Amino acid sequence: MFKKNSPLQSKSEIILRNIVVTFMIVFFSVFLIIPIFIAFAGSFHEWNPLSGTYNFLGFENYKNVLSSELFLKSLWNTFIFATIAIVFRIILGLGIAYAIYCPLIKWKSFFRVIFYMPVVTPIVAVAFVWKFMYNPQIGVINDIFGLDINWLLNPDTALIAVVIMTIWKDFGYAVVMFMAGLYSLPADALEAAVVDGASPWQKFYYITLPLLKPMTLFVVITSIISYIQAYVQILIMTEGGPGTQTYLTSYIIYEEAFVKYNFGYASAIAFIVFVITAGLTLISFRVSSTQK
Amino acid sequence: MKKKFTLLALTLSMATLTACGGAEETPKVAIEVPQEVFGSTITYDPSAQINSGEDIELEFWVWGNPELFQSAIDTYCAMNPNVSINLVNNPWDSYWTKLPLSLNGDSGPALFNIHNSHHENLINYIAPIEIPLEDLQADFIGVDAHIIDGEVYYLDYGIMTGSMFYNKDMWETAGLTDDDIPNTWDELREVAKKLTIKEGDQIIQAGLNFNGDFAQNYLLGVNYQLGENLFLEDGRTPNIASESTKQIMQMLLDIYEIDGVGHKDFGEKCADSFGQEMSAMILQWGHFSNTLNNDFPDLNYGVFEIPSFDENPYAYNRYNGESTFGINKNASAEQQAVAQDFMKFFLASDETQVDFNLAMNTFPTKVSIANDEEILNNPVSKAISKNIDRYVWPGPMPATMETSLIQAGENILFNDMSIDDALNQAQENIIRDLQNSTFVSVENLYKYAQ
Repeated sequence: MFKKNSPLQSKSEIILRNIVVTFMIVFFSVFLIIPIFIAFAGSFHEWNPLSGTYNFLGFENYKNVLSSELFLKSLWNTFIFATIAIVFRIILGLGIAYAIYCPLIKWKSFFRVIFYMPVVTPIVAVAFVWKFMYNPQIGVINDIFGLDINWLLNPDTALIAVVIMTIWKDFGYAVVMFMAGLYSLPADALEAAVVDGASPWQKFYYITLPLLKPMTLFVVITSIISYIQAYVQILIMTEGGPGTQTYLTSYIIYEEAFVKYNFGYASAIAFIVFVITAGLTLISFRVSSTQK
Repeated sequence: MKKKFTLLALTLSMATLTACGGAEETPKVAIEVPQEVFGSTITYDPSAQINSGEDIELEFWVWGNPELFQSAIDTYCAMNPNVSINLVNNPWDSYWTKLPLSLNGDSGPALFNIHNSHHENLINYIAPIEIPLEDLQADFIGVDAHIIDGEVYYLDYGIMTGSMFYNKDMWETAGLTDDDIPNTWDELREVAKKLTIKEGDQIIQAGLNFNGDFAQNYLLGVNYQLGENLFLEDGRTPNIASESTKQIMQMLLDIYEIDGVGHKDFGEKCADSFGQEMSAMILQWGHFSNTLNNDFPDLNYGVFEIPSFDENPYAYNRYNGESTFGINKNASAEQQAVAQDFMKFFLASDETQVDFNLAMNTFPTKVSIANDEEILNNPVSKAISKNIDRYVWPGPMPATMETSLIQAGENILFNDMSIDDALNQAQENIIRDLQNSTFVSVENLYKYAQ
């Protein structure tokens, strides 16, 4: 017989649970955990799975990565790229979500769809369209603003141009997340603030914003993970150029693995990035918990 | 000696063609089936039975031009109706991941198209061609560069290199004639000035554009004109930070900055800019002719040989070979035998060789068709035919050569880095990347190697 307090009431429910859990364990093992271990082992080897090369190198790959100027530059570029993109994602996402949340705004679903559309559009397509828009001869951006800038080949604008495209594509995700957060706020707290005579700004700053902190943290962490992995927009729009001005860490991983077939070196970078991502996520959690 | 086909024109029904894989998608065409032995030194006997006449099926993987490959397969299968070859066309990018992984197992195709830039990933899976080396050398040029421990695993059926493409309408509008076709870089620069149209300082039409492609088209090849190889004598050490590369890069800068016939920000990709009729001349490899014919069919263009610094250069440019197929050494013995037979047919058939070279815009390496009328009427082949033996193949070029030189060029053009610093940095990157590579240059096998 089943335990009295078990949430599962029938044998069929338990069977279903076991099937689902087994499937998830097998799925994640085959497609995530085992590949991670293979890549970790590979990071200590000269490794090209296509030619069958697999020679032990010890820490040579890690040593080479950490002494590579290009890797350090890509880390800095990734930091700049992620910081700007996350800040604008949060500001635009929260601002627009709050505007849509406002009782004065009608057609809320329409706006939610409009702002979310770029998120579900394939990044390859978006990147190609923006690349055309940035073209110095036939692009609309120079036309609209009356500028004469070669956006993607100017070292001062190339990375920013890619960040702008990324913000445009991604801020809709934050809009939807923050709207979900806003609709789940406790009504009594907001009403109490109104009764106490709080201005709209005070209500937002002292009530809404602190209550949205868990959602903000969630958006920040998922954004960090997402932007550290960003490379498609670089591949399509700049290929790391001009020179190496827009190399992001994940783009080096792509180039080393799938252009130069240097999978061992690429795996070493991937594990360093993994450690950095885990560290940043931990810091985010710590910062959040100390402010509670 | 070249033997002419005795042709029996047969209109084969779809039922007959079903012997060839993928035939249900092939439109009904008349296939001229050879009835007698054909070929020069390498010969093919259509009456010889393959696989003891028993039905056999194999796969052939390619990354493009399926109609071209299908026509060769159809001709072969018409001679060998017991053989079924299924053509599998893959996108370029995924091809190079899927192919080595499938060759590593037992599900790989018996035949597969090769691009020599992926030599290192494929060579361990290829069976040597079972045709005597002397026969290959007698019929084809450039075989020696493909010998590995006395065996040839694949060879080039066509030579591709860079030539100057020019817009004939712009040429005429500028008052230029065929007599103005430049032979030297100085002459080219003068012609480019006449082809340039400006409104104030603004370029409306570039006389010469090399944006985007200068690494592959200029920095990896024009050096030979100045007598310097891309690699030092050991065949492993890159010779990128050389005086010749510096001189070429300086010439490119002068063309833009002093002559003013183009600009780094005008026409981001020279190939697109040429197709869109914004640039009058560009240096491109032979395959660009296909791009123009497909994407810009109305463009009136011509082709001439790459200019040189003087009349008798050490070599005009680098070339790369369009490779024959690979035979999967892990395929069954029966499939390998058929694949070897197909290779023999492919190499022996002049008609097939002409078709492939015309389709790829390459100059044939098969001696018997070097003076073929159709080949010499092709503008790309015509441009390089006169000095065809003055082109160097350095070997299957490692990817880092191109990526590192693109970075160097962009550092010079856009990041204000000096030519010396940029090329030194590229040299260091290439040395690092080549550490784990088995690449060895074959520049020493060039006919006029010094």
